[in-house]
Amino acid sequence: MINRRKFLGLTGGAAIAAGLSACTGTSGGTNQTTSTGSKELRLFTYEDNSTVGLLKEQIKKFDAQNGTTTTVDSLPGSGAAVYPDKLRTELLGGKGPDVWRIWGGQIGAPFVTAKQAMDLSKYYQKYGWDSKINPAAVQGMTFDGVKGGMPFIALGIGCWYSKAAFAKAGVAAPPTSYAELEEVNTKLVKAGITPAGLGGKYGWDVMRLFEYLLETSAGPDLHDKLLTGGETWDRPEVVTAFTNFKKWQDQKWLPEGSVGLDPAEVELWYVQGKSAYTITGPWTEAQGIQAGGKKSADFGVFELPTGQNPLRHSGFVEGYMINAKAGNPDLAAALLDFLNQPSTHKALKITASVVAGAEPDQATLPLSYQWAKGPATKPFYTIQDQAFPKKEADQYFAIQSDVLQGRTTPADAARKMQDVIKAWKR
Amino acid sequence: MSRRGGAVAWVFAAPALLVYVVFLVYPAVSSLWFSFTDWDGLSPTYHVVGLQNYTSMPSDPVVVQAAVNNLIWAVVTVVVPVVLGLALAVALNGKVRGKPLLRLVFYTPAVLPLVSVASIWGWLYNPQYGAINAFLRAVGLDSLAQPWLGQDSTALAATMVAAIWLRVGFPMLLYLAALQGIPQDLYEAATVDGATRWQRFWHITMPSLKAAHYVVIALSVIDSFKVFDLIYAMTYGGPGTATQVMGTWMYFNVFQYNQAGYGTAIAVVITLVAIVVSVPYVRSQTKEQTT
Repeated sequence: MINRRKFLGLTGGAAIAAGLSACTGTSGGTNQTTSTGSKELRLFTYEDNSTVGLLKEQIKKFDAQNGTTTTVDSLPGSGAAVYPDKLRTELLGGKGPDVWRIWGGQIGAPFVTAKQAMDLSKYYQKYGWDSKINPAAVQGMTFDGVKGGMPFIALGIGCWYSKAAFAKAGVAAPPTSYAELEEVNTKLVKAGITPAGLGGKYGWDVMRLFEYLLETSAGPDLHDKLLTGGETWDRPEVVTAFTNFKKWQDQKWLPEGSVGLDPAEVELWYVQGKSAYTITGPWTEAQGIQAGGKKSADFGVFELPTGQNPLRHSGFVEGYMINAKAGNPDLAAALLDFLNQPSTHKALKITASVVAGAEPDQATLPLSYQWAKGPATKPFYTIQDQAFPKKEADQYFAIQSDVLQGRTTPADAARKMQDVIKAWKR
Repeated sequence: MSRRGGAVAWVFAAPALLVYVVFLVYPAVSSLWFSFTDWDGLSPTYHVVGLQNYTSMPSDPVVVQAAVNNLIWAVVTVVVPVVLGLALAVALNGKVRGKPLLRLVFYTPAVLPLVSVASIWGWLYNPQYGAINAFLRAVGLDSLAQPWLGQDSTALAATMVAAIWLRVGFPMLLYLAALQGIPQDLYEAATVDGATRWQRFWHITMPSLKAAHYVVIALSVIDSFKVFDLIYAMTYGGPGTATQVMGTWMYFNVFQYNQAGYGTAIAVVITLVAIVVSVPYVRSQTKEQTT
């Protein structure tokens, strides 16, 4: 095995190598974080402009309490398709942050596997995070038994709809079964309204529809086994899910050419009156409905009906990791603990907290509150871009894209997906 | 050059050489090295795997698809902008009203940021609200309205149209500059001898633009093999992998799939192809300097 130091030694003098390592973004095995002193921290996140100010205010409080100077850098709107690349580049360039926010599952896993993020077990013990944080969320930040991150939020995916669109189509109440959902879609199309505003660029968010259809046809046990490779995908339940998936495009329940549309634009169509609903998380109330100047009262949210017991929705975890080379990991852990206090969550207007006592404010975010008190308390299955490594997830999206375009039959799609899983598990 | 002169020359060249070595040679050599390893792009250690990354490329269906897409992209986005650029240059070199404004109009896309270009064309191609489908529906050609970026059959062609729009200004500008250098008396003599406009273009203009052809075509070809940003921003390589090119597939492997060794091997192949296609250009330039 060769490490990067040996390679640098082979390629030139130490002085030149030190300068050159920066230009190739390599660490040389001796990189430090940007901490120039024991009281300086840098936090990297993907907060958008509407929330980064709140975070900075809370960080100021932490700094005042601890005599620290914490810099907050954000990459707003970048999403899981871009942000991890920027983070990776910073880490390899030797300018890695002390603390960074990241998604759980297979998106956060590479940073722990590569030992760029430290094992937080001792801090779980020191701050009692195991007893304070939702256990399902802790699981989402545990990678091959290593507690590589501290969960911050656990988000559930539901159906967010426009009451005006439903009323125009003569839909009196949200559907309570999959058959009823299909009826709602038919009524919406007849009323000239595109039912589901979903876009498939980056795999999002058409993926959310397929995972719902898979949960509906396969049920919780089988669905979980499929995601871990415990059962073959080449089976009738998966074929049914792909068949229903194609039906959504054929019946115009999805926008025309949905696989090529940018989800960031299409998701907001239900707020703009261009579609009836979308499938997304509680952030849409503040960032979509209210940021668009609309009232929460004109919209609603419900858990997509699966007809399965238990009724589950898809969900995912986001949290914070600490750089394995952080100058002051104890201080970084103290910052994480501060960020997960219920009072901090309330100040940050978190709508899907992993700690008790930090539910969203009912007066300002009524729909998020409704979600937090209802569906959010139920079990969820892992959203599929976190269930698989990125390469396999992209192959999965490619198969879904082929099905929607009629290039692959549902039966072939199920077989191809099994090939993907088999190769991954090999 | 004397020995003393040589030393002085090296001193003057040293800053540029240092920058060249630090920012080009070293990264290039590093990349070449990593292409022989299984480095995941994040871990501090890796194994040497020899030529495995190169030998496994032919069995990667996306590499094959990306190579074909690159070839199509190279042919279309070189030939069309060069021909259009030449035609525009010839037209705008003559007596045309509003010539400066037209030059500006045709060259403007070339200076726009690629992400802006991708956004503009993304909106134009929007299946439901885009201008292209709206126009087709307005003139009764509803059947031709397509989800341009949302289906394999049209996605690559749609991105190439954006690339052509973007690139046509560059050859136009170079050809315009070259056209200014052709002596007018050649045309006058040919006219006196009874040459038609086509004959004047074919026998005077085209041979006189030989040096410009080399520059335009070589740079366009190199540029086409490096294509990345427009595809990434417009389609993200999709739908599925329909618009993947070598540049984007290299990026996905290095930065998203934790296969930096394999990804850098793809980068090495792209570089080799670019070097091969630029040989005629380099040869022509060195030939000119020595004569």
